[in-house]
Amino acid sequence: MKKPLWKTGLLGLFAWGLFGSGTLFAQSDPTGQKPITQTYAFTNATVHASPGSEGQKATIVVKDGVIISVGSGVTIPAAAKVIAGDSLYIYPGFIDAASQAGITKPEDPERPSDFVSSNPPDEIAGITPWRSATDQFDISSSQVDDLRKAGFTMAHVLPDGGMIAGKGAIMVLGTKGSTNLIKANTALAASLNGSRGMYPGTTVGVMAKFRDVYKNTNLTQDRIATFTSNSGVTRPEINQTYSAMTEVVNGQIPVFFEVENDLEVRRAISLQKELGFKLVVYGLEQYDEVIDLLKSSGVGVILKLETPDDKAIKSQKDDVDEAVQAQYDRVKESYDRTIAQAGKLAEAGVAFAFSTIDAKPSDAMKSLRAMIEAGLTESAAMAALTTNAASMIGMNRIAGTVEQGKIANLVITTGPIFSEDSQIKHVVADGSIFDYEIKTKKKNGNGEATVEVAGTWDYTSETPAGSSGGKLTIEKDGDDYSGTITYDDPSGNGTATSPISDVSISGSQLSFSFEVSAGGMAISVSVSGEISGNSMDGSMNIAQFGSFPISATRNPNFISNN
Amino acid sequence: MKKINILLALCLSLCLSFSWAQTPKGSVLIKNGTVLTVTNGTYENTDVLIQDGVIKKIGKDLNAPSGVTTVDATGKYVMPGIIDAHSHVALDVVNEATAPIVAEVRMKDVVNPYEIGIYRALAGGVTISHAMHGSANVVGGQNATLKHRWGSSNPEDIIMQDAPRTIKFALGENPTRVHGRGNGIQPRSRMGVEAILRNGFNEALQYKKAWEDFNKAKSQKGSTAVAPEYNERLQTLVDILDGKIIIHCHSYRADEIYMLINVARDFGIDKLVFQHTNEGFKVAPEIAEYTMGASVFADWWAYKFEVYYSTAFNAAILHRNGAITSINSDSAELIRHLYHEAAKTQRYGNLSDDEALSMITINPARQLGIDDKVGSLEEGKHGDVAIFEGHPLSSYAIPQMTFVDGIKYFDINEDQDDQRQQVSPTETVEPILLTEHNHRCMQDTEHLFETASALFQMNQ
Repeated sequence: MKKPLWKTGLLGLFAWGLFGSGTLFAQSDPTGQKPITQTYAFTNATVHASPGSEGQKATIVVKDGVIISVGSGVTIPAAAKVIAGDSLYIYPGFIDAASQAGITKPEDPERPSDFVSSNPPDEIAGITPWRSATDQFDISSSQVDDLRKAGFTMAHVLPDGGMIAGKGAIMVLGTKGSTNLIKANTALAASLNGSRGMYPGTTVGVMAKFRDVYKNTNLTQDRIATFTSNSGVTRPEINQTYSAMTEVVNGQIPVFFEVENDLEVRRAISLQKELGFKLVVYGLEQYDEVIDLLKSSGVGVILKLETPDDKAIKSQKDDVDEAVQAQYDRVKESYDRTIAQAGKLAEAGVAFAFSTIDAKPSDAMKSLRAMIEAGLTESAAMAALTTNAASMIGMNRIAGTVEQGKIANLVITTGPIFSEDSQIKHVVADGSIFDYEIKTKKKNGNGEATVEVAGTWDYTSETPAGSSGGKLTIEKDGDDYSGTITYDDPSGNGTATSPISDVSISGSQLSFSFEVSAGGMAISVSVSGEISGNSMDGSMNIAQFGSFPISATRNPNFISNN
Repeated sequence: MKKINILLALCLSLCLSFSWAQTPKGSVLIKNGTVLTVTNGTYENTDVLIQDGVIKKIGKDLNAPSGVTTVDATGKYVMPGIIDAHSHVALDVVNEATAPIVAEVRMKDVVNPYEIGIYRALAGGVTISHAMHGSANVVGGQNATLKHRWGSSNPEDIIMQDAPRTIKFALGENPTRVHGRGNGIQPRSRMGVEAILRNGFNEALQYKKAWEDFNKAKSQKGSTAVAPEYNERLQTLVDILDGKIIIHCHSYRADEIYMLINVARDFGIDKLVFQHTNEGFKVAPEIAEYTMGASVFADWWAYKFEVYYSTAFNAAILHRNGAITSINSDSAELIRHLYHEAAKTQRYGNLSDDEALSMITINPARQLGIDDKVGSLEEGKHGDVAIFEGHPLSSYAIPQMTFVDGIKYFDINEDQDDQRQQVSPTETVEPILLTEHNHRCMQDTEHLFETASALFQMNQ
C-alpha cells in the first residue's frame, strides 16, 4: 500500500545519486583536480587508535578510502604518497552525531488559497517526515569546510524543518565530487518547536500533535493490514505523513529529539514512555538535573558541543556591595556547574556524543578543553567524538577508531590533541587528505613588523543571500585598535553600523569581530584576513551559518597629514 | 472474573500509593495557635499534628511523637493552605491559541517547577494553584492542578497527581478576537462561540459512537472492521460529556454565562465552574442551581469592554445565592495576597470570617474536585497549612510559614534575598518581564494579530 510513495522516494534517491556520481572525476580530468594517487602513508606518527589508548609510534597506510594497515613494520605501497608523521599525532576522525552542516532548509510551499491556520496542511505546519537530509545537504557548503577543519570527518546530518523535519543521513565529509552518502533514512528528526501563527504553534500543541500523528500511524497500519488481507474493506486513507512515520512506530529507526534543557529532556522522555519509540535526545545544554534520568532511561544522549560564554563573569566588577557579590557568585556557580556537566554525565556512565548544531565548529576545541578542565576525562571526550558517536548512529563497524579495515577518516595534529597549542594539520576524510595552515606562535617583543591596518576600507562579502558590502573603519588607539563596520541592515532598511572589537594583528593577519542585531537576536560575526598593501582577502564567520569569503580595499587617504 | 477485578484493584491501589509515595512528606506539630479550620469553626490555643503529610490530630496539649519537630504558633493564626483556582504560574506555555478547540493539549506537559512565582505564592500562604491554559480558545487545553512543592526539579513532583482533570473554556471577546477578528474564522461573535461548542460536542458524540461501533464489531469473530481515526481533541470532549473532566470557563457577561449553562444542560454536563464571572451576580441563582459555582476577582474590572459592568459585591451576592464562590488571582502579583482579596468580601458584603476564608480555601477546593483532600483543617486531610501573624483577613496579616504535605517550604525567618532555583550562567542580571501583573490569559497569542494584518493586506 505504501509502495507508490516508497517507490517515488527511492527513485528520487536514485536519480539524485546518479546525477551526483556524474560529477565524479573522469579518467582524464580536465580540471586538474583529481589527486594523483588515492594511497597515502603517514609514517612513524604517534597514533592514538581509540579513546584512552596510549599513543604508539606507527605508520598508517590508507588506500581508496580504507585504512589498509596500521603498525610499525608495514610495507608502503609504491603508489603511496608518503607524509612524514614523525612529529605528528593521529586520531580517529571525529563524528558529529547530529549535524546541520551543509543543510539548507527547503523553501516553504506556498499556502493554499483556502489555508486555515487552525488546520494547516502537514507540510506547512512543519510535519514533513518524508523529507530527507540527503535532499538538503551540500558537501560544498562552507559549513562543511568549517566542520572538517575542526576535525570532523563524518556527520549525521538532520534535515532542517519544523516539529517533524524528516529523515537524517550519514555523510562522510569527503571531496566535492561525490554524494558522500553512507546511509540514508537513519533517524527521524523531531523538535518541540511549533509553527509560527498556525497549529501547532507551541510546545503543548506540538506534543499533542506528535501523539496524534504517532497513534494514527499505528491505526493506519492496522487498517492497511486488514485491507490487504480481506475483501469488503473500505480503502484506508494513506498519506505521506503516516507512510513516512511507519519505520518510527515499528521501531526500525529512532527519533532524534532536539532538546535544550532538563525540562525538555523530560518532555521528550515522557512522549517516548507514552508512545514507545526509540529515542535519542540531541543538543543538550543544561542537563545537570537529569543526569540520573538520562542514565536510567537509557536514551541516546548527544550534547551540544559548546560551553557558555564567560562574558558575564568577566564583566563582573570588583568593588561591589554584598548583595551584588552574592548575585555574581551565583552566576559563577551556575557557569562552573554548566561546564562540569559533561564530566558528571561521563562519570555516571552515559556514553554520550556531540552535536555541532547551533555551535561554532571553530570553537569546538576550546569548548572541549573547558569541559576537560572541569572534570571530563580526555578519553571520555575522545569517545564522545568518535566511538560513542559511531555506535549511536550504527557506524562502529566502519568508523570511530584507527584500525585496519575502517574508513580512512583521521585527524592529524601537531601535538596531543587536547593540549592548548596543538593544531590540526591534516584531516583525512573518506581517504582524501585536507591540509590546513599551521599558525606559528606570535613572537614576543619587537620581532616582526606588523602591517598597518588603520584607515577606511570598502569591503564586499559573498553570502548565500547574495553579495553585500560596506565600510570598515579602523583607528589606532594607543597600542589598541578600534573602529566600526557598516553592513546592510538585516531588517531591510538601509545600512546599519556596529563597533568592532577584539581587533588583533599577527604578522599580516588581521582579525576582529562585531555583532549584528537581527530580529532581537545578536549574531556574532568574526572576520580574519590577510593584508597585503591596501587590499585584504579573508573569510567572515557568522555564528551558526558558516564562513564566507570577504575582500576589502583601503581608500587612499586624501587628507593631508599637515 | 472477580479475581481479576480484585487483582486489578490491588494493582491500581499499589500503583497509586507508589506514585503518591514519590512526593516528599513531612511531620510537624504546630503548637498553641488560633486554628481556623474554616469548615469546623475556630479553636484557640490549639495544636495541629501532621504526620507523614496528613493531618493526624487537631486538639489541645498534643505531644510531638519522637522525631517530629514542633513549631510554636502562640499568638499566631493557623489556617488551611490557600488555594488559587485560577493561575498561570509555573507554565512554560499558556496559550495554544491556534484553533478554536484545542482540548487535546495538556498543560501538564509544560509545567516548569523552577518558576519563582511558586515561591512567591508560598510566601502568600498559597499551597495549591490551578495552572490553567489561556483564554484564546473556546475550548482551551487541559489544566494542571499544582501543589507548591518548591525546590523540586521534576514537574511531576509539583503536579497534584490525585486531582481530577479540568479543562479551560473561554467565552466572549478573547476567542472572538483571536479567531474571528484575528483569523477570519468562526467564532466571530458570541453566537459563533455557542455554535463552536454545540458543534464540538455533537462531533464528540459521533466520535464516541464510531469507536463504540468499532469496538463492538471488533469483538465479533472474523471481524474486518477498521478503526476510525484517533482524535484526542474529540476524545477529550467525550470525556467531558462522560463527566470525567471539570470545565473551568472564562466568562464575563451574564448572557454568555447563561448560554453555557444551557449548552451544558442540553448535553448533560454538570461539572462546570465559571471563571472571572464579573456579571455572575445577575445570574447567581442559575449558577447556584446548575453549576459548581464561580471563581471571581474581588475587585478587578474595566480592562476591556465586556468587563465594565462589575461590582465588588459580586462574590458576596453569588455566595448568598448559594453558588460555590471562590476568589482567584489570575496574576503573579495577586496570588501573593489572596487573603486580602478574600477580606474584601467583608467590606463589600459583610461575609463572616469563615465565609470569607472559604473563598480561598474550601470553595476553590470544591471547584477543583479536591475538597476531600485539602481546603480545610480536618483530620485526615493533607497537611497543607499556612501560619499568619495577625488574622489572615486583617490588613496587618503577615504570612509566617507555609507547609505542603507537612513540609515547610516557606518561612519568613529563613527567606533569602535570592530564592531562585536556577541562575543563568551567561547573564548577571536576567531580563525581567515587566508585564507580570497583567493577565497572562492571552500570553503567546500576539503573533496571531500579525497574521491577521497580513491577511488583510493579502485580500486587498
